Amino acid sequence: MMKKLYSMLLFFCFALLTACNQTGSSTNLQELKDRDWSTIVEEANGSEVRLYMWGGDEGINEYIDDWLQPRLQEEFNMTLERVPMNTEEILQKLQTEKQADKQTGTIDIIWLNGENFKNAKDHELLAGSFTDQLPNFNKYYDNEDPAITTDFGTEVEGMEAPWGKVQFVFHYDRAKIDHPPQSFDELQQWIENNPQEFTYPAANDFTGNAFLRHLLYAKAEKPSAIYAQPFDQKQVSEAGDPMWTYLQSIQSDLWRSGEHYPNRLEELDQLYGEGEVSMTMGYNEARAESLIEEGVFPETTESFVMEPGSIGNTHFLSIPYNSPNKAGALVAINDMLSPEAQLEKLKPEVWGESSPINFDELSKSQKEQFESVDRGNSVLDQQELEETFLPEAEAEYVDWIEEEWMNELVQN
Amino acid sequence: MNLYKIKPWLLILPALLFLILPAYGLWAAFSESIKDGSDVTLTYYHQLFTSERFLSSLWFSLYTSLTATLASMIIGIFITRSFAHFLTDSLPRLSVWLPMLFPHLVFAYVIILIFSETGWLAQMLTMIGVLESPGEFPILTRDNYGIGIILAYIAKEVPFVILMLFPVYNAIPPAYYDVVKTLGGSRMEQFKTVEWPQISTVVMEIFFILFAFTLTAYEVPAILGTNFPEMVSVLSYDWFYSGSWEDRPLAFAAMVTISLLITLMAFIGYMYVNRKRMRALRGRL
Repeated sequence: MMKKLYSMLLFFCFALLTACNQTGSSTNLQELKDRDWSTIVEEANGSEVRLYMWGGDEGINEYIDDWLQPRLQEEFNMTLERVPMNTEEILQKLQTEKQADKQTGTIDIIWLNGENFKNAKDHELLAGSFTDQLPNFNKYYDNEDPAITTDFGTEVEGMEAPWGKVQFVFHYDRAKIDHPPQSFDELQQWIENNPQEFTYPAANDFTGNAFLRHLLYAKAEKPSAIYAQPFDQKQVSEAGDPMWTYLQSIQSDLWRSGEHYPNRLEELDQLYGEGEVSMTMGYNEARAESLIEEGVFPETTESFVMEPGSIGNTHFLSIPYNSPNKAGALVAINDMLSPEAQLEKLKPEVWGESSPINFDELSKSQKEQFESVDRGNSVLDQQELEETFLPEAEAEYVDWIEEEWMNELVQN
Repeated sequence: MNLYKIKPWLLILPALLFLILPAYGLWAAFSESIKDGSDVTLTYYHQLFTSERFLSSLWFSLYTSLTATLASMIIGIFITRSFAHFLTDSLPRLSVWLPMLFPHLVFAYVIILIFSETGWLAQMLTMIGVLESPGEFPILTRDNYGIGIILAYIAKEVPFVILMLFPVYNAIPPAYYDVVKTLGGSRMEQFKTVEWPQISTVVMEIFFILFAFTLTAYEVPAILGTNFPEMVSVLSYDWFYSGSWEDRPLAFAAMVTISLLITLMAFIGYMYVNRKRMRALRGRL
C-alpha cells in the first residue's frame, strides 16, 4: 500500500517535470514570409493575441482595452488580451523560457525599446525581421528615418515596428517662474538663486538618466559628438568631466541639499505636485496634461526645453521567438500602426502621444485630422519640438552614466 | 522492503519536495555567479568584496535589519506580557493582529504619509506651534540612517511577534508568578525565571524569521531608502535589471552571499537551541 502511494507520488513528480518541458510547434516567421497578407489575415481569424506591456498608465491601458480591443474583435474576429508586466520582467520570462528551450510561449506581442530591445536582440529572444510584411508599415512609414531604423543606437533590422514617439521636456509652474531657463548655464544660475527648489531623479531611473544625457550632450563639443559616435570609454570621459563638475557645483543647492535624489520619477512628480520643488521633467512631451487633469500637477504647469535640444525616442512593438500566434501578432501590429489607430492615440484624452507616422504619405483629410487634434496648453508646439529634436545615443552611455554618477556624486 | 526503514523518509518527503524550488533557485543563482562562459571563476565574488558600494550596502542592511528586528521583538514582548490577559478576548486580539492584513507596501506608504518632510506629522507639529514651518521637521524617510525603513518594519512586525508569543504566554500557569512573588522576586526576576525559559526558543525562531526577511525584502527599502547606502536587495535588483545584463552575476553573487550568511546564523542558532534541549533532557536547566 505504502509502496503504491510512493510510486504514485514519484510518477506525479515526473509528470510535473515533463509537463514543464513540453515542446509544441508554432509557425515560424519564415513560413509566414512566403504567404501573402490576405492568407495571414485569414489565419489570424478567430485567434487570440496576447500583448504583454508595461501597465502603469491608465490612459494607455484604456486605449488598448476600450478602443483597440473591440476594433480588432470586429474587424478581424481576434481576441486581444492585454497582460500588464514590466518590460524587464517580460524579457526575463522569455530568457527563462529560452533557457528551458520552450518553443511555445504565451506572449505574442511585446512593447519595448532601447536597452530592452538591445538585450532581447542580443539574447535572440525575438522572432526576427517582420516589418516589411506589414502593409501599413510599408505604406505610411519612412523606412529610412533614423528614428525608425535605429533604437538607441541599435540597428532595428525590421525586428520591431514603430508604435509611438516621445520627446523629453521639463515642466515648470508658471505661477512661480516667469521665464524658465533656456540652457544648462541659466539653469545653474536659477538653482543658485532658488536653492532647494530643483532636483532630478537618480541615474538608475529612466528619466533621471535621460536628464543626465542632455547634460552630456550640452557639455560635449556638440551633441552629435555623443549620439553619432559609438560609445568609447576614453572619449566620453573627456565630455564627462565638465558634466560631473557641473553636477557637483549645483549639488548643494538642490532639494535636500543633494543628499538624496528621488529614486523614481514618481517621487519627483509628487514633490512638484506638493510644491516642494518648482520643476519636474519627463520623457513624454504631453504627459503633464493628464497629470494636471488628475490634480497631481498645478493647473499653471507648462513645458519647456533647453539648449542644445530635447532628446526623443521611438518605441516599438515586437514579436517574441516563441509566440504561439505569430500571424495574429502581425495583424494586430499592422493595425496598431494604421493612421486611424495612431490618430486615436494622439488625442490628449486618450493617450496624447506623438506618432512616428510619415505625414507626407497621409491623404489630405487624414493630415487635417491629425492637425486638428488639440494636445493641450501644457504641450509645446509641434514645430518647436521638431526643431529641437535630438536623437538618442547608444545604450552603453546609459550604463556608463549610471555607474559614474554613483561614483562621482553619491558615494562621496 | 522494511516499512520502518522507509517511513521516516516518506514522512519527510513533502518537506523535501517543497524544498526543491528554493534549493534549485539557490543552485541556479550560485552557478550563474561563478560562470564565465564555460569556465568557473571567482571574479564576481572578488569584485563584490572589493566594491565599496556593496560593502557599504551590506553593513547598512545588517544594521537596519538587526535594529528593526530587535526593536520589533522588544516592543512585541513588552506588549504581549503586559496585555496577555487582555488578549484572551477575541476583539482586542484581532485588533492587535489587524495590521498583519496589510502588505508591507502599504506600510511603506503610510510611513511616507506620516513621517515625510511634508507629511501629517510635520504639518500637525507646525499647526500646534511646535515647529515654525514644516521645513524644520527632521528627515526621517529616504534618509541615510534607514530610519524610515526601521519604522516601517517595526510597525509591521510587532503584531507578528505578538501572534507568535501570545500562545506561549497564555500557557504559562499563573502559579509560577505567584511562586516568584512569594519569594520576593522583582518583575525582572519574574521575566528571567518564569517567562524567558518558556519563550526563549520561540524568540530565537522569531528572530530568524524577521531578520532573514528584513535583510532581503525589497519593497520597503525601495520606497523608503535613499540612493546610497542602499539595502542589498535594492542593489541586487538594480544589478539584475539595469542596463545590459552584464551585472547579473554580481546580483547572483550578492544573493548567494546573503543566503550563506543567513544559513550560517540559523545553524548557530539551531546548535544553541539544541544544546539547551539536550541539557534540559539531562535535567540541568
